[in-house]
Amino acid sequence: MVSRPLAENELVQRAQSGDEDAYEELVRANQGIAFRIAYLVTGNAAEAEDAAQEGFIKAYRALGRFRAGAPFRPWVLQIVANEARNRRRSSGRRTALALRAGEEGSSGDAAPSPEGSLLAGEERARLLAAVNALREEERLVIACRYFLELSEEETAAALGVRHGTVKSRTSRALARLREHLGEADA
Amino acid sequence: MPELEAALRELGREIEFPPMPDLAGAVRSRLGERRRPWRRPVAIALAVLVVAIGAVLAVPQARTAILDWLGFNGVKIVRVEKLPPAPVVGNLDLGRRLTLGKARRRAPWLVVPTATGVGPPDRVYFSTRLPGGEVSLLWGTPREVHLLLSEFRGQAFIEKLIEPGTEVERVTVDGNPGAWLGEPHVFVYRDRNGRVRDGTARLAGSTLLWQQGEVLLRLEGDLSKQEALRIARSSR
Repeated sequence: MVSRPLAENELVQRAQSGDEDAYEELVRANQGIAFRIAYLVTGNAAEAEDAAQEGFIKAYRALGRFRAGAPFRPWVLQIVANEARNRRRSSGRRTALALRAGEEGSSGDAAPSPEGSLLAGEERARLLAAVNALREEERLVIACRYFLELSEEETAAALGVRHGTVKSRTSRALARLREHLGEADA
Repeated sequence: MPELEAALRELGREIEFPPMPDLAGAVRSRLGERRRPWRRPVAIALAVLVVAIGAVLAVPQARTAILDWLGFNGVKIVRVEKLPPAPVVGNLDLGRRLTLGKARRRAPWLVVPTATGVGPPDRVYFSTRLPGGEVSLLWGTPREVHLLLSEFRGQAFIEKLIEPGTEVERVTVDGNPGAWLGEPHVFVYRDRNGRVRDGTARLAGSTLLWQQGEVLLRLEGDLSKQEALRIARSSR
């Protein structure tokens, strides 16, 4: 996603003065990442949709308190992710979401991995299994940092933890993954 | 195996996410919705419980923050993602105006700042909105408030709802516990009959909240922390 700080600032300002078109554009620019975060947290598409929608509505109503010039994405992701956590809790669900990767040839195309792909199918499956075997908090941090490619700052906002926690959790998770994959090799 | 982090990024591009719903359209169609009437006590009670419980359990720091504040005679500071809408500043409903002497007779627990430069309050109000009453001392005029000190006998609990990032600092006022909030906030408390009420900050400035015996005091205005503490410590 191309970041356009100037345009974003302007959109936020317009939305703050009640321009619904401007806010819709802000939602459109951030909905993909917001929905994915909500999905990672709730583990359920319908709940993720509800949480993201509610989060964007809440953010709209809180726009008056948004600091001018600050980046909009981490702020809104924090609100959406918080909404998602609340929903997951009230649903009482405890089972963690198991991530799945697209199967090769699932679209009916039996061609091998495209050239330039670093991961062979088997390695990819092992890596995914290792990620799924992580503790949930570590899996979430890996998903935010590498799957959604959020910055550490944004990850901290989305997960409601400190910047330092994101750093330490990430390195712990990476170490665990290396260990897991190393053991599988042995 | 390629470098782990690069491999994870690549894997990320292949993770299956559910199809993207049309959030922007759905959100847009809801923007015009009227807000819920937050100011009715029932709505507030429910909303606050939900928001507070959610916020407490959701964010480890929030839980820490709350546990941290439990010593403060039932006062809890709760971080929430969004404050309920505040009433229009300037629409002060402080109750009936009376003299300081009459206020003291109605509320023998009343304390008044004696700090130099503060002087006696310009207006004194007594409200029966709360069981036991609430006294408000105002410096300035209702249209241009310089300082507002509200006092009531609070029991059971108070919750201050603040947004992430709001500065909250624990302070002591002559050994009594207190909190300094550098930004506007909403607070919710249970009155002596157990009813949950909202006590939205009425001024856009900062607030010092402290407990003096059985009385809860809230000093609002455009003050630095030092000034607020000086005024609070002079109250007797």
